[in-house]
Amino acid sequence: MADLKIGVLSCSGEECLGGTISRLATRKMLEELRPGQTVTLCLPLYLAGGEEERFFAKAFPVITVDGCSKCCAKRATEKYSGKVSDIVDVSEILGNDVALDKTVSTKDMTSQHMEMVDKVAKVICEKFDKIAENK
Amino acid sequence: MSKVKVIPCSGIGKVFGLMARESALKVTNELKPNETETVCLAHIVTGDEDSKSKIEGFPCITIDGCPKLCAAKNAELAGGIVKMQYRTVDEMRNHRGVDAGTATALTPDGWKVVDELCEKICEKVDDILKEEK
Repeated sequence: MADLKIGVLSCSGEECLGGTISRLATRKMLEELRPGQTVTLCLPLYLAGGEEERFFAKAFPVITVDGCSKCCAKRATEKYSGKVSDIVDVSEILGNDVALDKTVSTKDMTSQHMEMVDKVAKVICEKFDKIAENK
Repeated sequence: MSKVKVIPCSGIGKVFGLMARESALKVTNELKPNETETVCLAHIVTGDEDSKSKIEGFPCITIDGCPKLCAAKNAELAGGIVKMQYRTVDEMRNHRGVDAGTATALTPDGWKVVDELCEKICEKVDDILKEEK
């Protein structure tokens, strides 16, 4: 299990707050919560990249982290790479109004925004650990 | 008149992706909110008809973090008319040795590079809008 890597792939959507939260929660997994065990991929590389990128969901169990209910990260992963192991939808955790609120720059993040990131990261962690336990 | 689409890659692995994202957000939300708008690149990647209709046949400016040019390639595939491609990695060549930050947060120096790039993007937006008239 120590060598197990799990993919956490965010939509990083630019049009709403949920996209920023999805991105920062994924960064938190990489840097603080599960460093060394978390791997990620830039979502648009599925089309702009090559075979290596499209092999991502076959090579790793993947949790997609989407900012809104359109679930682009999940849909793109399943369209181009393979079935995902679990999904996190920010709008389900924080509510649709919050997720679809105006996007913010990282320089304008408030303590309230950071709490949202922590809340979403906690859900990712729970799903991450469940996948790791079953491997 | 349609707004110019400013589409960043928002790459998640390196600081260059965050610089691209922050540049697009600054132009579309602060500097040129009436002349520009952004479109979720992830939505474009899914091939969704909604996102395609937002950019197909419209002028786009793409901002990529690395030479893989995800934003430019995906915008073109969706039918966007890419009038200009920027790469934040190129902007950093004028600032050798500068610590711009990480993919999570920019340093004050990183923000300066973003501000410089935003000026260039705004000039290009003005040029495009003049052409469109």
